[in-house]
Amino acid sequence: MKARTSIERQMARLAEGLVAPSWFLILAVFALPILGAVWLSFRNETLGAFAPPKFIAFENYATAFADPRFWESISTTIWLTVLGLLVQMPIGIGLAVILERNLRGTQMFRTILIIPMLLTPVAVGLMWRFMFDTDLGVINWALAALGLDGPNWLGSRWGAIWAVVIVDSWQSIPFIMLIVLAGLAGLPKGPQEAATIDGANAVQVFFYVTLPALGPVILVTLMIRIIDSLKMFDLIYIITTRGGPGTATQTLGMLIYNTGFGFFQTSRAAALGILMVLMVLPIYWLWQRAARRG
Amino acid sequence: MRRATKARIGKAVSYTILLLAAFVALFPLFWTLSTSIKTRNDTFVLPPKFFSFEPTWKNYAAIFDTRGFGHIYLNTVVITLASTLLCVLVSTLAAYALARSPRFRSRRPLEVSLILVRAIPAIVIMVPLFTITSKLGVYDNHFALILMYAAVNVPFATWLMMSFVEQVPVTLEQSAAVDGAGRLQILWHVVLPLILPGMAATTIFVALLAWNEFLIPVMLAGNSAKTLPVFISGFISARNLDWGPMAAASSLAILPIAILTVLAQRWLISGLSSGAIKG
Repeated sequence: MKARTSIERQMARLAEGLVAPSWFLILAVFALPILGAVWLSFRNETLGAFAPPKFIAFENYATAFADPRFWESISTTIWLTVLGLLVQMPIGIGLAVILERNLRGTQMFRTILIIPMLLTPVAVGLMWRFMFDTDLGVINWALAALGLDGPNWLGSRWGAIWAVVIVDSWQSIPFIMLIVLAGLAGLPKGPQEAATIDGANAVQVFFYVTLPALGPVILVTLMIRIIDSLKMFDLIYIITTRGGPGTATQTLGMLIYNTGFGFFQTSRAAALGILMVLMVLPIYWLWQRAARRG
Repeated sequence: MRRATKARIGKAVSYTILLLAAFVALFPLFWTLSTSIKTRNDTFVLPPKFFSFEPTWKNYAAIFDTRGFGHIYLNTVVITLASTLLCVLVSTLAAYALARSPRFRSRRPLEVSLILVRAIPAIVIMVPLFTITSKLGVYDNHFALILMYAAVNVPFATWLMMSFVEQVPVTLEQSAAVDGAGRLQILWHVVLPLILPGMAATTIFVALLAWNEFLIPVMLAGNSAKTLPVFISGFISARNLDWGPMAAASSLAILPIAILTVLAQRWLISGLSSGAIKG
């Protein structure tokens, strides 16, 4: 016990030094720019303006709230997140449950199924874009072969939204599958067996025993997926050429990009960024809850 | 009898779903690779040619002939390696502190910061970073990019490394301390050898994320520090979408990753699970 307390005392002294490099990176690359964004958001800076910039208080925020494109971008962001979750979570959990059965060949299937997860989103998005092509794309060709009339994927708002949801799901389902698989491996088998002996069928066991036991794992997965959906940038940049057609798939992140780097309205983009931070903060609260339960 | 039939149907359904999922997972990869070795005419025909075409290396030749492509590929490799080493080193030190020291002054603020860095979309910091890097004269600068790449992956790498440090029995460190070893000596001689496999897994992960990074270089790199994802994204601005060379460039980005994923899957899977659940 004496050794332990002396280790702790030594460690506390050393710890500040060990975390110093992390602090440097976080402060230089995140904290400083966010303070910079707050400062910019109260001014009227644009790239290449003639008049010297000045302090305009909350005008950029007022402009954002009055802009229909701002509200449209929030709606698009929410739709992409919600549709994505509705597609990804059931499929990811379902595949995990099937892999958990440990049928012959499971190893091979697991290897194949995780491949999409870590591929470069920009490259992947570009190839899906080719596959979604209305005239020459392999997807609409296959749909036509099945007697279906494929939508104009990238030419309409909902077609483009679904295209992004499909590619995002293609990359995210393996992640959900792996986390749930790890969660399943950690569950005690007793309650499931007991329910089976009591006459419950496989479906009942899943919904009444396994799924509730997975609650904390699913909550963590859900949270990570929400965070990453809000962050989604590369896929939209590539698949719909930065939020097209028109502004149909312009998420809040894309609106910030287009405002700051398309129209060079630095200060307005900064204000939108601060609003986005405020919207992400509730997730932090969710995270704390999930961490406590997990 | 009925139970046996039921089990057989269950199995058949499972395999059908797995086969379908495997097809969906692999087809875009197959399509990228096959488009990359097709001629222009074979690319633009319906019905699509899946196997019956004359392979050509022309698309790859076109990519390698692009002015500056070698430079771009080298940039990507250098920035990926340097930022990964920096990130893993910094994160391992922080992970050791967080795992072994329950109380130190900046512990709570650091934990909060790590979550915020992970949760706040990086696009938010890009506008001010653009202004700051321009003012400091480090826009399009390799070193600045390396710092930023490393920073965005610090939370993930720290959590992952924490889970590996926690697997090292504290008693090992205690007995080394009783024998009179200092903390840094213990970290170097006792802990480090035991977490090396974990560091390797973290390194692979962070390297993949850095290799794929797009947001940072598309905004903060010009011609001198341009990376492969930025180069690939340039195709969407071209008036005529030229799918052959595009597929070749995409293949050059994703093929190394697909191979690495298959080879290192054991590490990736265990690492991802523990790192993500920790977060």
